[in-house]
Amino acid sequence: MSHTVLVCDDAIFMRTMIADILAQAGYEVVGEAESGVQACEKYKQLKPDLVTMDIVMPDMGGIDAVREIVKFDPSARILMCSAMGQQALVVEAIQAGAKDFVVKPFQPSRVLEAVQRVLG
Amino acid sequence: MDLSQYAELFRTETRDHLTTLNRLLLEWEQQPESPEPVAGIFRAVHTIKGMAATMGYARVADLAHRAETLLDAFRQSRRAVTEAELELLFKTADALEELVTASVGGREQSVDVTPLLEALDGAAAQGRPGEAARGRRRISFVAAPAGAGKKVDVILSPDSPLKGARAMLVLQRVATLGTVHAVEPAPAAIEGEAFDGHLAFRLETGADAASIEREVRLAGDVERVVVESTEGAAAEAVGEGVRTRHVRVDLRRLDILMNVIGELVTARGRVEHLADRLRDPDLTDGVATLSTLTARLQQEIIQARMTPVWQVFDRFPRLVRDLSRQLGKQVTFRVEGKEIELDRAILDEIGDPLVHLLRNAVDHGIETPDARTAAGKPPTGQVVLAALRDRGTVVIVVSDDGRGIDRTRVLGEARRRGVVDAGATELPDDLLLRVLSRSGFSTVGEVSEVSGRGVGVDVVVTRLRELGGSVEVKSTEGAGTTFTLRLPPTLAIVQALLARVGDERYALPLTHVAETVELSTGAVTEIDGREALMVRDRLLPLVRLRRVLAIAGDPPARQPVVVLQLGDRRTGLVIDRMEGQREIVVKTFAPPKGTLPIFSGATVLGDGQPVLILDAGGLV
Repeated sequence: MSHTVLVCDDAIFMRTMIADILAQAGYEVVGEAESGVQACEKYKQLKPDLVTMDIVMPDMGGIDAVREIVKFDPSARILMCSAMGQQALVVEAIQAGAKDFVVKPFQPSRVLEAVQRVLG
Repeated sequence: MDLSQYAELFRTETRDHLTTLNRLLLEWEQQPESPEPVAGIFRAVHTIKGMAATMGYARVADLAHRAETLLDAFRQSRRAVTEAELELLFKTADALEELVTASVGGREQSVDVTPLLEALDGAAAQGRPGEAARGRRRISFVAAPAGAGKKVDVILSPDSPLKGARAMLVLQRVATLGTVHAVEPAPAAIEGEAFDGHLAFRLETGADAASIEREVRLAGDVERVVVESTEGAAAEAVGEGVRTRHVRVDLRRLDILMNVIGELVTARGRVEHLADRLRDPDLTDGVATLSTLTARLQQEIIQARMTPVWQVFDRFPRLVRDLSRQLGKQVTFRVEGKEIELDRAILDEIGDPLVHLLRNAVDHGIETPDARTAAGKPPTGQVVLAALRDRGTVVIVVSDDGRGIDRTRVLGEARRRGVVDAGATELPDDLLLRVLSRSGFSTVGEVSEVSGRGVGVDVVVTRLRELGGSVEVKSTEGAGTTFTLRLPPTLAIVQALLARVGDERYALPLTHVAETVELSTGAVTEIDGREALMVRDRLLPLVRLRRVLAIAGDPPARQPVVVLQLGDRRTGLVIDRMEGQREIVVKTFAPPKGTLPIFSGATVLGDGQPVLILDAGGLV
């Protein structure tokens, strides 16, 4: 059975691209969220194997969403999606419980490597 | 990876973010002390940066990055924004738009934003709060006696981005195996710019070297790990699978689909016509099912094409703001009915006419604050853009509370050009529009930089008629002007009345049909040489289609009258017979020279007969 993934990003462009990369590698994208609040709701509802999480999102940012999700499920596997120059935020996300991160611009191979690492 | 397939999506979505950016900048301008808009502005710029970098549009990403740096300073300090800074950010929004268009078109290098980059950097350097004020949280590791545990050396790949964060991941991973001591460099330095990716620490653990190395490598981007042995874990191969979940639809495909469905509707009409003649129950049944399915298909595709008007309206607040500043006027701009939907093709076409009308409203309508005060009005003028639904049509209203159109001047000009009788002393609203929409007609004495020469109402009227819509104007001197645009919600397929006159049939779109009445000869009177019918105590001017089309012979004894309504103006169109209501597929055409200006297109009926579509605007 393929792993299920929840893709969280406020940009459809980014979600589409991540979903395409993952789907082509055989992962099953079971949901998408465009805000931190939605990410938390969908996580609780879908319980995916992996979450890709943008850091900067409306409503609730990615880092708060990580905290919230980890509180709900300490074993949650969350991959942060960051831009260059967000080191402090990424570190904060890791402290909050994110398992790994990828940096935009995304290279499919790097994204998939990170996904594999997180899924162990 | 081929990125070109994402270019269109990138452009569309970037445009949305730029619209948001402009909207929030306007909000910020209204309340510069508020920290509220900054978060949204930052997010918009940040998202554009990420997307542009992914597409490889380095200039867009760079510009967004520098704007983000400036915005980040505001997020940290929560201080008020200055006018100069706002102006810089507005310019950045414009430059981003230009750069995005150029980049998608493969001309990224053609746009030079160097001065803007410098200005942004300068502003960011001034506004940056001290490092201490940022209050960043840091990981701290317990200091421990040197020498305890196993020494681990980690070297990250040179091309690893955000090495500091990667190093934190390494530390967090190994912390699951035991206790981490003596991290070098210190955690604060790891997060700093100077960190070169070389990390050393001691790990107190029962795990063997291979397990430690495996755990370190799981943090990713690790080039070398030295514990007590250097056996590495092989990277696993990436599984290949083919599956797509998303469907992105190009508007052109929807156009093609719409055309095909249009043909299908025509073909269905033909089959229905045949079935009517053959009266075979099975055939009738089959055709009925076919009709239902076609109707559903059509409904679906129309729905797929419907787009909320805000997609066009959202760029107007910025336009009005820039204009009013440039002209030294104070204007409050209100937008209503943003959620009303129109066919994408129509929406794309009405952008320009609306720009014309809004410019006119600000440039010629709204007076300067002094002039307004002198006229006893509040110094700030109002411009309203509203969309609403009205009987199956969409109405868009552009109104201002400015000085109104100077009728004396327009009348003078119209008399001089012979548009109206030399003796005319009055100019009612409907005549006013007719005069204004004469090509190139100018009501402005001087050339205005903003609106160009003339008012351009002709452009608006022509465009609206091409779309099967209509325009009305109401203007009261000293109190303002209102333009009302009426549009069919979709272009290609409309409900129409079939009217027979002599041997010919004509289609009359229901968009402008108010009702039908019977022409009872007794009530027809003549006023100023024009026939009119008394309907419910109101005079309805009549147009006899037979006469317009110069059809010889006698009309039938009983003639129906189709009441056409354009705003407040009503006209009764006298025809020979009504042949029911039909769904028609509109094909626009360029009429040959000399054709009566009363046709807006043609259609093919179910029986295969071509039929001309009458344009209510040309008849009323």
